[in-house]
Amino acid sequence: MERGAPAVASGVSPRVKNIGAAAFKYAILILFAVITLYPLLLVVSTALKDPTDITTDPFALFTSLDVGTLGDAWTLGGFGGYAFNTVYITLPTVAGVIVLSTLAGYALARFEFPMRNLVFFTFMLGLMIPFTSVMIPLFYLLRDLQLLGSLWAVILPGVAGSAGFGVPLGVFLMRSFYQDLPGELAEAARVDGATEFQVFRRVMLPLSAPGVAVLGVLVFFQTWNQFLMPLLFLPGEENRPLSTGLYIFASGRTQEYELIAAGSIIMIVPVVIIFVIFQRQFVKGITAGALKG
Amino acid sequence: MAGSGTNVVSRSSKESAGGIGRLTRGRRGRAARTIRQGELRTAALFIAPALALYALFMLIPFANSIYFSLTNWNGATALKEFVGLDNYIAMFRDPTLYLALRNNVVWIVLGTAAPVVLGLMLALVLWTVPRGALFFRTVFFLPFILPIVVVGLVWGWIYHPLFGVLNRVLATVGLESLGRGWLGDASTALVATLVAAIWGAFGFVTVLLYTALQNVNTDMVDAAKVDGATWFERARFVVIPAIAPVLTLVTAITLIGGFAVIDFILIMTGGGPGNASTVLGYYAYENGFELNRLGYGSALSMFITVLSLVAAVAFVKFRERER
Repeated sequence: MERGAPAVASGVSPRVKNIGAAAFKYAILILFAVITLYPLLLVVSTALKDPTDITTDPFALFTSLDVGTLGDAWTLGGFGGYAFNTVYITLPTVAGVIVLSTLAGYALARFEFPMRNLVFFTFMLGLMIPFTSVMIPLFYLLRDLQLLGSLWAVILPGVAGSAGFGVPLGVFLMRSFYQDLPGELAEAARVDGATEFQVFRRVMLPLSAPGVAVLGVLVFFQTWNQFLMPLLFLPGEENRPLSTGLYIFASGRTQEYELIAAGSIIMIVPVVIIFVIFQRQFVKGITAGALKG
Repeated sequence: MAGSGTNVVSRSSKESAGGIGRLTRGRRGRAARTIRQGELRTAALFIAPALALYALFMLIPFANSIYFSLTNWNGATALKEFVGLDNYIAMFRDPTLYLALRNNVVWIVLGTAAPVVLGLMLALVLWTVPRGALFFRTVFFLPFILPIVVVGLVWGWIYHPLFGVLNRVLATVGLESLGRGWLGDASTALVATLVAAIWGAFGFVTVLLYTALQNVNTDMVDAAKVDGATWFERARFVVIPAIAPVLTLVTAITLIGGFAVIDFILIMTGGGPGNASTVLGYYAYENGFELNRLGYGSALSMFITVLSLVAAVAFVKFRERER
């Protein structure tokens, strides 16, 4: 499968040509790997700098090694508290999207009822409405519901999909997942006298675990990383998550690069760990969702 | 839209409230009509929670966005004064709108073309190397999962006028005169921000295209090669047509999202210097949240919605024709 014109036509022996082509390809891949990894190394290197080094040359790679910064960021920088807030936002959002979308997706896939398509397309509209189109009224709605500043101000719209993903994505993914499952098992459970909810809970939901994992991972990434909703709806210090915590810290204490970098690491590490564990689900979810859409 | 959505549920639960449950009837030979009634009720119960939350935090704000755009509300008064289409008329007379729109177009064209070209090249290379594809795939994908805040901050360091690596590299190769504060310079702020966004997206495109390539029939490629097709001809006439749907899709994702972009701009330049790097989404945010011109901000956001929806519908039509 090597590239290039047929070997016969060129004077070089096929073997040498193959090696040359492979070397060229790896050179390209390595170049882009360096471009990809440099900014990440820059964060790690900056977080490890000692205070004198940071003032003379903050962005030279790995000129000093001071591991105390991470602890300082966690306590003095306040990133420990921000991290907990991010967790308190992310877990309920992921759980909420999974519960509501498996139920709704199942019903839309398996039950016959009037206007089923209308309901489905109503949900799909949510995938097309950008956050910019709802953010202003959403702010005043949350204010009127007296939710502004509380974690719910980010969790509830997050589940609803105001800032993307959420229930619209979940319904889309889970509906197509349940459509692909064979119906015989559910039928058998029904004959055994199970209620519709039992059929869903005991038979179909466990079968859809791979789909749930994909959905959960996608929503996890989006929620953990989200920036605009916390910026607009969590103005106070109290419930501030890592994303806006980092942004506000960086705009206020512009010279403390080592703490900004350490805060970034605190935010990135869980994402990278989850990505490495669930890489397959994540890529599959993105591509499956993308290809079917 | 919200009204019609909720109606489906409330009416269906009413209809079936007196109906006989699906299972009791089911054992007696299950009449199709009864099953349908039972299903109506169950379906309503299953869908109601998701639909209620979605209607409250998505459909109602969206409808309110339309309403706000017809008023001159400033967020503080109790009364919202209806002004008809004044906001829209003012919007199309506002030079900043055209500046923002132009920046959106730059963002969309470059922000789509660059990741697609790079991603296609890297996917083809990954597809044909003997080993290591999985490793490089993982590395390339990493930026895509990172928070935009972190990406923005780090690229801000790369662009730093004094310590940034970009100016240093330029100085080393004798191009010191090109050095500048990349995000603070009106002529480079937008493109510099865009480069950070492209860095975050090209790996995603690569992986998507690489996955699509797994389904390409290699026999066809080999056959074309035996027939004397060059590398370029094989890519152009055999491989790329086979992955065309994914290419369209990637283009559509960046196109539709491109009108609504806001995070990168907000984090990296704040639309500045001046308005040099403002985009429609940021301009709407600025009006809605900093200048308290909610009506005007909402009109801008409706303009974004229309552009995004037109792009989305065009994409759906295009796909239908492709199939």
